[in-house]
Amino acid sequence: MSALSANVEQFPDLLRGDPDALKDWAHRWQGARVLGYVAVIFIGAGLYGAAMGWWRSPTQAGFNLIKFPLVILLITLGNALLNGMLAPLLGLNLRFRQSLMLVLMSFTIAAAILGAFAPIIFFIIWNTPSLARQTQVPWAAYNFVQLTQVVIIAFAGTAANVRLLRLLQALGGSTQVARRVLFAWLGGNLFLGSQLCWILRPFIGSPALPVEFLRSDALEGNFYESVVRAVLNLLSS
Amino acid sequence: MNDPNTPPLIPKPAFAGPPSGLPAPPPLGSSPDEQAPIPGVVAAIESILRQPRRVMYQLRQAGSNRLIAGMVLVAVLCSIIYGVVVGAFSGGTQLWAAPAKVAAGLLISALICLPSLYIFACLSGSQARLVEVAGLVAGLTMLMTILLIGFAPVAWVFSQSTESVTAMGTLHLAFWFIATYFGLRFLNAGFSAHEDRSGGGIKVWMAIFILVMLQMTTAVRPLIGTADTLLPTEKKFFVTHWMDCLKQNYDSESGRRAAQTR
Repeated sequence: MSALSANVEQFPDLLRGDPDALKDWAHRWQGARVLGYVAVIFIGAGLYGAAMGWWRSPTQAGFNLIKFPLVILLITLGNALLNGMLAPLLGLNLRFRQSLMLVLMSFTIAAAILGAFAPIIFFIIWNTPSLARQTQVPWAAYNFVQLTQVVIIAFAGTAANVRLLRLLQALGGSTQVARRVLFAWLGGNLFLGSQLCWILRPFIGSPALPVEFLRSDALEGNFYESVVRAVLNLLSS
Repeated sequence: MNDPNTPPLIPKPAFAGPPSGLPAPPPLGSSPDEQAPIPGVVAAIESILRQPRRVMYQLRQAGSNRLIAGMVLVAVLCSIIYGVVVGAFSGGTQLWAAPAKVAAGLLISALICLPSLYIFACLSGSQARLVEVAGLVAGLTMLMTILLIGFAPVAWVFSQSTESVTAMGTLHLAFWFIATYFGLRFLNAGFSAHEDRSGGGIKVWMAIFILVMLQMTTAVRPLIGTADTLLPTEKKFFVTHWMDCLKQNYDSESGRRAAQTR
């Protein structure tokens, strides 16, 4: 209980990204703290995902409550080994647990920001014609919701990464090294993240398709192939 | 005092000796950390990631054979594990054939290139002995393969969700290039520490090593897809093989789109 209250008390420091406090937390691996971060990711990203899915149907919202945090945790774990190796190779001598903790902290900040925006997204969705009752996609509404999502997710990602960069600078003492490590981590996380989102689709879903936890063809094709295919289709039409 | 989070510097330009105008790196063993013995394979993995100069220093000491053997063992084990991920794309025979081919391909490429590296090193004015050169190559292969293990979860996720051999091949190739970059950077730093007068010879060797490894992927094909025979019956240059694969992929994609249009 005391660990939980300590976590809650320290949460504003995490959001402020105070390098002195965060440096110390990154050095010490504490189970309670890690669990606290995982809980924030589940609550924050889960609520945001639910708000996003609500537009399609309440069932989709329920699925997103699990899927959205799952994407974040799978990226963190899937790239943990790689991120742990890249940091020392690029000049920042972090231990494996430290790099894992730093990535987890940054995702926790992003999830907290997303969670804070979840009520606003719910409100926007509430005021938008539901996708479930449409025979045709309402493009104007669809584009507005999509743009709002992009802006909020970009803001959460930027805010989290600015804090991570400051922390990396504080740990390594060099802006150049911190940038190198941050961009290497970002590259890996974006690469894996795109594919995990592709596998775990739909998050909103087309009104013409049924609401599902995973599509029956979830493991067919990949995100990048579909992008290339879309470009080829565009060029050949 | 040194910041404990800042690892020892590796000379900057990736594939060249110490650049003119910049201070030369301090001699190996100048810091007590570098002189600490490397007791086992776990310490060897830690050192090559965090203290590469410690590995370079230990390779110069008597009895470095154990360290070299340990690094080769790690390289073989890691390439077998990564090979399983490569083979998981097709499954079946490839689950054991791909690991065997990846590990054998890596070892054979290193062995084929080792004599030329020693000659190039001598021509470049390096004082390194053959055993030290062999140690640096063992370090290169170990660093490459442990980085590939870092990429393995990502590669596995993609291998389970695509049917395109070309897409998987491109992905593995990209991971291999990144791993090779860091491996060659270690090797280059090793030669810079051996008072290599010019990096020219080593640069040429690096190009040869990359070409040999790329050709090896074609020589032991199929690594990703399947074939009737375990090893190829037709000899091909790797560029030709890639072109054939791309053409095959384009043809099947065009066929698929034509069927969709109909």
